[in-house]
Amino acid sequence: MIRFLAFMSSRWTRLVLMMLIVLSLQTTLFTELRPFGVAAQLVLLFVVVAGSINGVVIGALTGLIAGLMYDFILPTPVGLASLSLGLAGATAGLLLYFFHEPTWWMRLITIVFASVLGEIYYPLAQTVVGLDGWLQLRIIKVAVVVAICNLILSPIAIVVCRWVLAERKLPV
Amino acid sequence: MLTSIILITLDLQNSSAISGLRSVFGTIFRPVENTTRVVTRPISNAWYGIFNYNDVLDENDRLREKVAQQEGATVAAAASVRLAQELLALNGLPTLAGINAVTAQVIGDSPTNFSQTIEINQGSQSGIRVGMPVLNAAGLVGKITKVYGDRAVVMLISDPDFALSIKVVNSPRRTITTTTIAKSNAAAQSPVVPVEPDATQDSEQSSTTTTTTTTTIARFTPSVTTLPATPSGVSSITVPLASDLAIRETGVIEGRGPSRQPTVRFISNAVRFGDIQAGVPIVTAGGSRSLAPPDILVGTVSRVVERLGSAGPVLEIEPVADLTNLSFLRVLLYQPITEKATP
Repeated sequence: MIRFLAFMSSRWTRLVLMMLIVLSLQTTLFTELRPFGVAAQLVLLFVVVAGSINGVVIGALTGLIAGLMYDFILPTPVGLASLSLGLAGATAGLLLYFFHEPTWWMRLITIVFASVLGEIYYPLAQTVVGLDGWLQLRIIKVAVVVAICNLILSPIAIVVCRWVLAERKLPV
Repeated sequence: MLTSIILITLDLQNSSAISGLRSVFGTIFRPVENTTRVVTRPISNAWYGIFNYNDVLDENDRLREKVAQQEGATVAAAASVRLAQELLALNGLPTLAGINAVTAQVIGDSPTNFSQTIEINQGSQSGIRVGMPVLNAAGLVGKITKVYGDRAVVMLISDPDFALSIKVVNSPRRTITTTTIAKSNAAAQSPVVPVEPDATQDSEQSSTTTTTTTTTIARFTPSVTTLPATPSGVSSITVPLASDLAIRETGVIEGRGPSRQPTVRFISNAVRFGDIQAGVPIVTAGGSRSLAPPDILVGTVSRVVERLGSAGPVLEIEPVADLTNLSFLRVLLYQPITEKATP
């Protein structure tokens, strides 16, 4: 029973449950609201924020889990989104190494840059597995719009991500 | 990273474990998604209300005008389609009329910016299988790429992974043969008088056009024809010469993403085919290996890019279906013979 409670209260269980909600928002609301014809990437935002708060390892793991869940609803081969989101999460963690004692605005800059890179990783990964045709100039516009959307939504995402990925000890 | 690479490898080899995982995840995820769709509907409605209201009004005006223009043409087109289908049926050729279809509604777009797919609310329970062609009222929209019990994913023709064999129906310089029948001998055998119109002139030629030479049309035997007399007492029918009929060349249409038009490649550079002009229709080629039956309208040529040497031209295609605004679609329950033979 204690083991079950520990499992249920672990941050990874919370992450999976939260990702179900994030994914459902991604496939419903955020596919319809397309500023400049570009779909905002809520899943990418969540992963990038996780990396910028918790570092490279947690960022990469969050990206892997979120990406895997995203893969299951996309028509592209399973593993593409987990690869690109895992890299995006790790990138966000790595970019923070450039800042000594990062402040809130440094974190926002990290989120913006990691979002741009994360959005470019996906068509790159598609090209690597033979799904070419997506590496066009359009990806610059897509990456910029996604980064701006992520910047706007990041304050909420930071709060949610802190809560989801916080380590909690069960009272004995 | 290694995990992802292993998963990609497994999925590209059509692993049943990955398909099973997809299916299980879909079963868990759909109720959550449906709930979120209901909850977020007011937000998306508000978004459309704020940003798209004027566009919708403009579009409404444009559509009203278009409907008025096309009402008359539709009646004539429907008659022509029926006639063509009867002729095809008489000759034992496949027609779309003989293929069952399932009507489906679009329930979602692709959540990523790097996939041109949509989701529809019909799946394997309605008989839909991977590869089946999807149409709207205008023409071909795409093909089914993933099927679940009650939904399916449609890859649009603008997706870079989309490829389909097509025919380019090119109409060469037209020569019209006009048969003139006097009222008094309307039931007699028709004398054939060919007319050579100017290349820039339309096919609507009057019977007073300059007569050149008398020709015998190959495999054409004029029959006894009774035609209604015109007020002037003269009736005429227009018969195109066999050599002037539309010439078809096959090629392959490939998508190029949402911001660029699909292209057609592998068109042969034959002299007989002539110059391809903008506006020439593109239809599906059909055949035993094609995933679509023949003669579904795909689009029209918007630009011809000539290439040096023996390489044929590359054609940019304007799809007839508006891929950005899809609502109700028709899935043709069509499978080529080669697919049916596979267990």
